[in-house]
Amino acid sequence: MTIGEICAALRLDVVSPGDGAREIENVIVGDLLSHILGEAREDWIWVTIQVHLNVAAVAALKELPLVILASNRTPQEDLAAKCREENIALAISPLRAYELCRQLAALGIGDARES
Amino acid sequence: MSSPYVESYAVDGTELVSIGEASTKIKSVLKMLGIPSDLIRRAAVVAYEAEMNLVIHGGGGEMELEVWPECIKISAVDTGPGIPDIGKAMTEGFSTAPEKIREMGFGAGMGLPNIKRNSDGFELLSEVGKGTTLRSEILLQKT
Repeated sequence: MTIGEICAALRLDVVSPGDGAREIENVIVGDLLSHILGEAREDWIWVTIQVHLNVAAVAALKELPLVILASNRTPQEDLAAKCREENIALAISPLRAYELCRQLAALGIGDARES
Repeated sequence: MSSPYVESYAVDGTELVSIGEASTKIKSVLKMLGIPSDLIRRAAVVAYEAEMNLVIHGGGGEMELEVWPECIKISAVDTGPGIPDIGKAMTEGFSTAPEKIREMGFGAGMGLPNIKRNSDGFELLSEVGKGTTLRSEILLQKT
């Protein structure tokens, strides 16, 4: 599924569109930057409640093309600007991380066969 | 003997938001040099974690990237307070980062283990009151 399709299906509030045609492989959820650095793989979605600029740095370094902010968290302006600059998709969901991930799973994203 | 490609980066210790600037440059250089992407990803984790430590614990410092035909070397040097117990610092989950910084998702006590896991060679030297030097090596050709 592509970033554009996921944003539409989950009715996300898109702050930065990123590359809407890019295919997503899996999802990681977490708010500890080192955990994401250690565990995330390229082309995964990152679900978090962190809203500061360093989110963009971690997403860029790990090549995570879509960051979804759960629980209606509003990104700090410098994060939004950096995501636009780096072509990282950034979107907000009113859902809490668990419910958001349930819906991502219902869309068929992510499974137990992690590469 | 061929000489390495070397770049160094000053890391500002006053601004948390600047974390990632040096690592992003390191990643771009490695891409430009045509290093395989799986090795770039490992180097990016090493660089970002090391940069995070320089800012959070070291009061800033200097990072250096060396690219040799056989390996990538990344070092981070600070003149901060030093690490009293390296064994403890290497323990996953152990952190001395202030609460405010942890709330931002930094300082989870995973940085040094993350660096070691992504390195083929790892060295951490520290002296209390003088500073810390971290060196990581990632092999380009496994022997």
